Amino acid sequence: MASHYEAPIREPLVTGEKSYHDVTVDVAAPVEGRANKQWWIVFSIALVAFLWGLGCIIYTVSTGIGVWGLNKTVGWAWDITNFVWWVGIGHAGTLISAVLLLFRQKWRMAVNRSAEAMTIFSVVQAGLFPIIHMGRPWLAYWVLPIPNQFGSLWVNFNSPLLWDVFAISTYLSVSLVFWWTGLLPDFAMLRDRAVKPFQKKIYSLLSFGWSGRAKDWQRFEEVSLVLAGLATPLVLSVHTIVSFDFATSVIPGWHSTIYPPYFVAGAIFSGFAMVLTLLIIMRKVSNLEAYITRGHIEYMNKVILLTGGIVSVAYITEFFIAWYSGSNYEDYTYLSIGAATGPYWWAFWALIICNFIVPQTLWIKKLRRNYMWSFIVSIVINIGMWFERFDIIVINLSKGHLPSSWTMFSPTFVDVGIFLGTIGFFFVLFLLYARTFPVIAQAEVKTILKSSGERYKRLREDGNSLVGTGADSRTSDIVGTTKENLDQDTKNNS
Amino acid sequence: MRVFVKIAIVLGVVTLVASCQNTSSRNYQYMPNMYESVGYETYQETSAFRNGKEGQLPVEGTIARGHMPYEYPNTLDGYNLAKANLQNPLPFDAYRNADSTVTEDYLKKGEDLFDIYCAVCHGTKGNGKGILVDREKILGVPSYDDAGRAITEGSVYHVIRYGLNAMGSYANQLNEEERWQVTEYVMTLKHDLENK
Repeated sequence: MASHYEAPIREPLVTGEKSYHDVTVDVAAPVEGRANKQWWIVFSIALVAFLWGLGCIIYTVSTGIGVWGLNKTVGWAWDITNFVWWVGIGHAGTLISAVLLLFRQKWRMAVNRSAEAMTIFSVVQAGLFPIIHMGRPWLAYWVLPIPNQFGSLWVNFNSPLLWDVFAISTYLSVSLVFWWTGLLPDFAMLRDRAVKPFQKKIYSLLSFGWSGRAKDWQRFEEVSLVLAGLATPLVLSVHTIVSFDFATSVIPGWHSTIYPPYFVAGAIFSGFAMVLTLLIIMRKVSNLEAYITRGHIEYMNKVILLTGGIVSVAYITEFFIAWYSGSNYEDYTYLSIGAATGPYWWAFWALIICNFIVPQTLWIKKLRRNYMWSFIVSIVINIGMWFERFDIIVINLSKGHLPSSWTMFSPTFVDVGIFLGTIGFFFVLFLLYARTFPVIAQAEVKTILKSSGERYKRLREDGNSLVGTGADSRTSDIVGTTKENLDQDTKNNS
Repeated sequence: MRVFVKIAIVLGVVTLVASCQNTSSRNYQYMPNMYESVGYETYQETSAFRNGKEGQLPVEGTIARGHMPYEYPNTLDGYNLAKANLQNPLPFDAYRNADSTVTEDYLKKGEDLFDIYCAVCHGTKGNGKGILVDREKILGVPSYDDAGRAITEGSVYHVIRYGLNAMGSYANQLNEEERWQVTEYVMTLKHDLENK
């Protein structure tokens, strides 16, 4: 009997007859191989979208914000909608790598690398908007409390927009450090496998001379845990601060104490949806089906179901409070009867259908274990969460306290172009990442291979010893219960 | 050691960039958004007017609110008329009400203005011995107690308004009230000189 106990009820996290070497080979394959035609096609599309967006940004900054569809009543629309949307998407990455680490969720190991990459890349997209929506972005450095020649004129620390600056910049830097620390052993693996001198040089630089000694690993684990402990409150506070942009205002529909947790739940909701969208594709194109399994998809769908439920409760609360408050001004907020039947009814119902109704189908086990349906739901959620931010911002602004200031908003091609540009930029970064970075934390997956790998679970259940099973005839001379020997045994027995 | 070399390089570059400033011309500006005035500023050059100046002359004969035209002409007749008839429009008598604070303030302002605009030639005592006379830059500044001139309130005001002989008009420097303040102060100086 194996000394290790793992509940038989648990699904294997690595399917197939994977050995340590197989993990290495599978993870390294996309990096060591050449990009295929489809990659170049998708990359080109993303690049074109990015360049188009860049053109729109340059046009906006050089011509003025007036090229957007904003007006005097609706001063924030697509810019901040997209900002909050992208920040929200970024939150799943840190949640997967930090919160799930604290909860010792082993299934995160196959998805955390890509989720963190998604975090970094989407925070980069989000970070564009606070700059480009400024009227004078070249003075953006004034938001920093730097001693200066204006009698050391400082910023007012009372504005949530300033807290945003600190929140987003801290979030990006901590996420980047967390991500990169985790990458060190994997870069070292690529470095050690590289045969081309150029690749070897690059991965030597990226891996910071990682040599995988016991002391290194011990500290690595401690650092990961500490960073996870720091990143968790960061995740919660960053989107809280983003929600303060609205919650601390006096706009009906914005001034709401439910926003901080509700925005964070929405962020995790949309972030997980984006992770699903990306990983369902990635597991196919990068041949990682053995690592990102149906079980992983189901786990993520469960998180989506949970956070979607929290968001739904928040919707109901908002809707109820809009009525219960007895405040006339609350009649036209984004979650009120007025919004459901008003000029933005389509945005209201898009929100309700995409975030409230469609994700509820995931209660059905068959659907949440279905790749195609998960993929569709994940896209629907991303659309819905975009509408949630749009509704919060635009519907509430369009009908404020004074009827004489009521107006509508319609975006211009520049608004849309910049949004498309950030999507393009995101995919440019993500596609480049998928070709050059180890997309699965192989060092981590190797730690769960023997406890949660399908092959090892079966061996244990059959009552076989795991001694020597880590050996691979391709990499070592040790003869033990290797895959080949097992195959031999099976043949002999039958 | 290497760190110090790097710091030195950075500081060197900063110094090099900073040395691009030329003190004999305007310095470089970063994004001068509202540095240049859109509206017309007093004294600025402009192509909007034919003579290239922002300050344009008002139409002859117009009277601005709060101002009255001076009715004595700039001629010898005008001078004599003013000398005989012109009086401070305020009921003002420096000699009788010398202890009134209003009078004191009035005369104090007159003194300050006199020291700024007049004393350089006429001297702070009005005796025609200003600093320019001392240094022999100009000659022939009479004293206020010159019996041959026998200046009066009206003649002093008239001369400040128009100028006389070598003296130019001070109507540009002093407004009507200030001219009267200086005039009253001149009369006290004359009084002091005569009673010495």
